[in-house]
Amino acid sequence: MRIGVDIGGTFTDFVLLDERSEEIATFKVLSTPDNPARAVLEGLARVSDATAAIVHGSTVATNALLERKGARTAFVTTRGFRDLLTIARQTRTDIYDFFCDRPEPLVPPGRCFEVTERVTREGVALASPDASELAELTAALSEARAESVALCLLFSFLRPEHEATVVRALRDAGFLVSASAEILPEFREYERASTTAVNAYVAPILNRYLGHLEDALEGRDFRIMQSNGGSIRSDEARTQAVRTILSGPAGGVVGAVHVGQAAGFDRVVGFDMGGTSTDVSLSLGEPQVTTESEIGGLPIRIPVIDIHTVGSGGGSIATVDAGGALRVGPESAGSDPGPVCYGRGGDRPTVTDANIVLGRLAPERFLGGEMALDVARATEALEELGRQADLTPAGSLTLAQTAALGVVQVVNAHMERAVRVISVERGHDPTDFVFLSFGGAGGLHACDLARGLGMDRVLAPYGASTLSAFGMLVADVVKDYVRTVMLPGDTAADVLTEIFAPLVERGAAETVAEGVPESRVTVHRELDMRYRGQSYELTVPFEDDYAAAFHRAHGERYGHGDADTAVEIVNLRVRAVGSTPTPTLRADEIEGDDPSMARQERRQVVLAGGTVEADFYDGEALRPGARIVGPAVIMQRDTTILLGDEDRAAVDARRNVLIEVNAT
Amino acid sequence: MSHDAVRLEVFKHLFASVADEMGVVLRRTAYSPNIKERRDFSCALFDASGRMVAQAAHIPVHLGAMPLSLRACIEALEFAPGDVAILNDPYRGGTHLPDITLVTPIHLDDGTPIGFAANRAHHADVGGMSPGSMPLSRELYQEGVIIPPLKLVEAGETNEALWAMLLANVRTPDERAGDLRAQLAANHKGAERLRALIARYGAEEATEYMDALLAYSERMTRRLIETLPDGRYEYADFLDNDGVTSDPVEIRVAVTVDGDEATVDFTGSSAQCAGNVNAVYAITLSATYYVFRALIGLDIPSNAGCHAPIRVIAPEGSVVNARRPAAVAGGNVETSQRITDVLLGALAQACPGRVPAASQGTMNNVTIGGWNPKRDEPYAYYETIAGGMGARPGKDGADAIHNHMTNTMNTPVEALEYAYPFRVREYSVRRGSGGDGAFRGGDGVNREVELLSDAQVTILAERRKFPPYGLAGGEPGKTGHNVVIRDGEESEAPGKVTLHLGAGDVVRIETPGGGGHGASGDRDRDHSSTARS
Repeated sequence: MRIGVDIGGTFTDFVLLDERSEEIATFKVLSTPDNPARAVLEGLARVSDATAAIVHGSTVATNALLERKGARTAFVTTRGFRDLLTIARQTRTDIYDFFCDRPEPLVPPGRCFEVTERVTREGVALASPDASELAELTAALSEARAESVALCLLFSFLRPEHEATVVRALRDAGFLVSASAEILPEFREYERASTTAVNAYVAPILNRYLGHLEDALEGRDFRIMQSNGGSIRSDEARTQAVRTILSGPAGGVVGAVHVGQAAGFDRVVGFDMGGTSTDVSLSLGEPQVTTESEIGGLPIRIPVIDIHTVGSGGGSIATVDAGGALRVGPESAGSDPGPVCYGRGGDRPTVTDANIVLGRLAPERFLGGEMALDVARATEALEELGRQADLTPAGSLTLAQTAALGVVQVVNAHMERAVRVISVERGHDPTDFVFLSFGGAGGLHACDLARGLGMDRVLAPYGASTLSAFGMLVADVVKDYVRTVMLPGDTAADVLTEIFAPLVERGAAETVAEGVPESRVTVHRELDMRYRGQSYELTVPFEDDYAAAFHRAHGERYGHGDADTAVEIVNLRVRAVGSTPTPTLRADEIEGDDPSMARQERRQVVLAGGTVEADFYDGEALRPGARIVGPAVIMQRDTTILLGDEDRAAVDARRNVLIEVNAT
Repeated sequence: MSHDAVRLEVFKHLFASVADEMGVVLRRTAYSPNIKERRDFSCALFDASGRMVAQAAHIPVHLGAMPLSLRACIEALEFAPGDVAILNDPYRGGTHLPDITLVTPIHLDDGTPIGFAANRAHHADVGGMSPGSMPLSRELYQEGVIIPPLKLVEAGETNEALWAMLLANVRTPDERAGDLRAQLAANHKGAERLRALIARYGAEEATEYMDALLAYSERMTRRLIETLPDGRYEYADFLDNDGVTSDPVEIRVAVTVDGDEATVDFTGSSAQCAGNVNAVYAITLSATYYVFRALIGLDIPSNAGCHAPIRVIAPEGSVVNARRPAAVAGGNVETSQRITDVLLGALAQACPGRVPAASQGTMNNVTIGGWNPKRDEPYAYYETIAGGMGARPGKDGADAIHNHMTNTMNTPVEALEYAYPFRVREYSVRRGSGGDGAFRGGDGVNREVELLSDAQVTILAERRKFPPYGLAGGEPGKTGHNVVIRDGEESEAPGKVTLHLGAGDVVRIETPGGGGHGASGDRDRDHSSTARS
């Protein structure tokens, strides 16, 4: 048996897979933010199989970073460059705001130190670290009461010996050190230093947390989800804390990709709309990975699943600005006080209130009936918004309904832009993809969004709210390695093969050490290349005629490739994958297409074209094979799906809802 | 308010995403690091009468300049479907020669004109007397190839003669060709997206909301101006010199606020000068629009509506509205900063709580050219160096950051050393260079580069003589310094200079700090924003 565990703000989700019976079971435990491990252990205690392997997505490192509650960290670098983290790339974050500040560096200037040493671009040492200076450094670090040290020397990826010397001295003195050549042996000193500093900042926190869990789990197979969509062993994660930073959202994307593939779709746009924000991702059979992500404004250059986040969701607040435009977000009502309809003191209308006023949510069944919603209050708030916006009731609609439709249109405009960023801006046409909606707030918006983007299919997976925990459970073991080489583009392939060899060996060995049988390990070799003079690299698979592959890729991505222009090989990348056996999810028998056994009632729902009568269905009671033609509403445990006029939904053998979107 | 508040917001996103996607195409397809990485470009969408509807600007200095480019094209050319115009002439729609603008008219299938897509990008070299085309020049003709508004593409056919002529006049023709193709692709995308938008919403509604969005931005700008007390606010400051003589160059402004309108009058500024710090009118407009835009403090579309309530008077033949053939290479990068400084100095009297003290007021432009022995080929490298931000009312200024009219990224030290025969010896915060005050000006930067082979170094920098001012009793920031170190001997170099240096010589640039805000006696450590532990 395998168990996926994902910690959310409210619940900690557990997904159990019994490989023999192909049965999946899920349950939730209330999260314990003061000590997240408590909820994890509490949930695990409820599972009868006390030997099952566990894959866990931890938000401990993420929260420590976002809330700036990490370790007291010091930074050590080459003489002349102690302000590396402060200067960053010398840009400001908002060009039209005099009062905007860059994110504070994780290490204040007073805890930044220098070592007299220098390595050239050829890897030649001009000056090497000196023992007496290192003794002074350790004394200074003690005096600064540093709990964790980030070390990043210039060109350390060419000559890691200098960092190794410093690391030895500091570790001997009892310091916890993150060294850049170990974390990210890749050129561009600021990004490498930033990645290393993040690692140093969160490592002690993650260490404590995982140490606590490891003790409690007494040697069980315990793995941690990484931001790259793969898992690693818990003790490995402790030395590479930065790799776990975005593990929660990564789990969701891996789960979505898996469900999409099981339903027959390789190319999916993942749309995870929650209460305060929305994550959008893209998969071409595998989730797209980027090395250019930021968290809390700080760059981390390790490979992570490419997720575009926008600050709008169901709780986003609608306002009318001074120029008379109706805006939605970025302010959110969160869960406390929450939308007006929660009746907890929120008085500004949100997207959820708009959906209530439009009749798209059944107020007495919200969250399975656990919370009764106050429709009258929501209506009042939207009416007030309509007055402020000077709206005229459209046709037979009330002012509140007109305003509510407006709120939905505006938030959809935000979402449409977000989907275009992850697709069009990355060179993909969204109409080639299936729109996979798995966030709690997304089902009401998915069909309209797909329609606006010209996408003809929406897939709403069953059990969407535990998709992230499920993704962890099916994730492969993935280990990424990089090394900057800066070689000419005509370097012989066998020379490169030789340089690759130690990385390949290490990747394979470390994956086997993760407990993966050798037969399930594959090692991929890639090159980061560019035309000489360019500052961006493209990653292409390493093959004999790798240069041709690069020209081709450049042509596809950027519209021109020129075989006559000099090319550089910047980095070698190795990705070792230990594949997890893909579970076949049990498929039920397809039964008749009649949905009537799940029909609950007929209600009035406001769509863009006016008020219509729509059937409301209990999604849990729908059987595989059932077909529903919109307008209709399907209420699932995790989300509510709105079908517009002539949108056609079918429940598949795994109880996912697949919708053919009416294009007109 | 006859327009629908919802549609207004929806169209705001729609038009903005057209400009954004043009920018993505340009960045992705461009060839040179300057466009791809430093993002020195802007894209804009215009209505059929040539009014700017939306702009995706990474560089504020392009703000006011794009509309003038479009006007110059409309005046000079008869557009037909399939045409694309090109220009860089600072006296006909351009700003300085490296910034090349392409304008594409957009038509419906039946030939109805519905708008224009335009983009401007900084090219790494456009010929002229020195590599990088940012020379210490005395007339425009030395700065590179001058392109008046011309059709680069006519009815879908590229003008091969013009194309060949352009590329024959630049040092890196392949890179230029790649960048120009990227600019064509960006406009093509803009046209395609606007046509798709019209297919979805109809020409009538799209046009109606173009108008509505202009009116919206105008309303917001007027509301801001209304919050300023009526009156006349004056300020003057100086450029150190023009790089030819040692005379200071004065920039003088009087901002008159009258209800919801403002007049910005630069009468009294110095006459255009012999060196290259002359600004054309477009730059003066850009700096003005930038300052008002930043004061609004709200995310509103950058369009012609923002400009309507602001009248800008800049006497022809002055340093803020130069006449042909004055040299202008530095007007774009240096004078634009001083124009911003004087505007803020004036507006600080109107709304002291919203205006920061002077920031470093220069971009510290450094161009290094020479022979790369490792690659056996010539090279040209251009960078701008960050400095101190002026202290803000209630907040310290940020250290080591690009201010106001620019926001380009640095080149990583390791990337620099891989590509060029230099060694960076120091890149640090210049502590103590920010002006003291209740809130302290941000510190500048120390940057020390050792040359590993013979090279020609051109520095174009300001605030070496007149420091960035403080406000409300705050001290000025420290002036910058250019230092040459030869055989261990340090010597001070002028602010604007071309040096012929040898292997082992070191150039050290110390950039200015920002001005302080409020009297230093009022400094309360708990209320300063930057921890200086």
